[in-house]
Amino acid sequence: MANQPPAIVMQEVTEPQELAEARARRNRFDRNEAWLQARAAEIYKCHRGRYICIAGEDLFVADTPEAAYASAKSAHPEDDGLFVRYIPKEKLPRVYAD
Amino acid sequence: MQISGEWLLCDDDVRRPVIRGEVLASDGTWVPAEFLVDTGADRTVFSKALLALLGVSPVATGERLSGLGGVAEFVTVETPIRLIRESGAPVMFQGRYAACTEAEALDMSVLGRDITGLFAAIVDQPGDVVFLLGQRHRYRIEQV
Repeated sequence: MANQPPAIVMQEVTEPQELAEARARRNRFDRNEAWLQARAAEIYKCHRGRYICIAGEDLFVADTPEAAYASAKSAHPEDDGLFVRYIPKEKLPRVYAD
Repeated sequence: MQISGEWLLCDDDVRRPVIRGEVLASDGTWVPAEFLVDTGADRTVFSKALLALLGVSPVATGERLSGLGGVAEFVTVETPIRLIRESGAPVMFQGRYAACTEAEALDMSVLGRDITGLFAAIVDQPGDVVFLLGQRHRYRIEQV
């Protein structure tokens, strides 16, 4: 990868149907995130080194992101605001910048 | 344009600046994703977990990015990211992004300066705000 970052093209979405779908999905995403944040300490502590998926304000845990997603989608097929996160094995200070 | 984030509690009890968005998967669905706002990162990078859900084929492999842990292997994918502006409307960022293939190398996707550089980025922990500001939105510094 060259040192210069590739060009990014920014474009606003204006199509009404797409806007409505995006807003509804975001609301579901926000609800799942709030649910996790309220229980974060306990969930993180219990599932280090594994993937969690939050869907329908419910927790699904697996060893791969695909498996966590599949379990969540099976239980909450209507929830398109689900998300998957990896819980690192250790609590270490992090530097993300590349 | 104002894109809002928040200080999110992470697994190590540290709050980090995160903006929630979504990324287009190969099946045409939008996958919700959390992005760490990293003003020091040159590039936006997807985590392994996000990459797995997208199902997109890499347009390049064997790419390398360097960081504190040395040089790590990544793939490059081409798919749009959407973030939500203050009106609730998504803003799409079409480009090529790096994607990590190791879970422990990057637990959370990173929003780098290829995107944040298009905005004024405010990452203010004491003030509990995370914003990307552009177009007709500005910020002002005041002495109080």
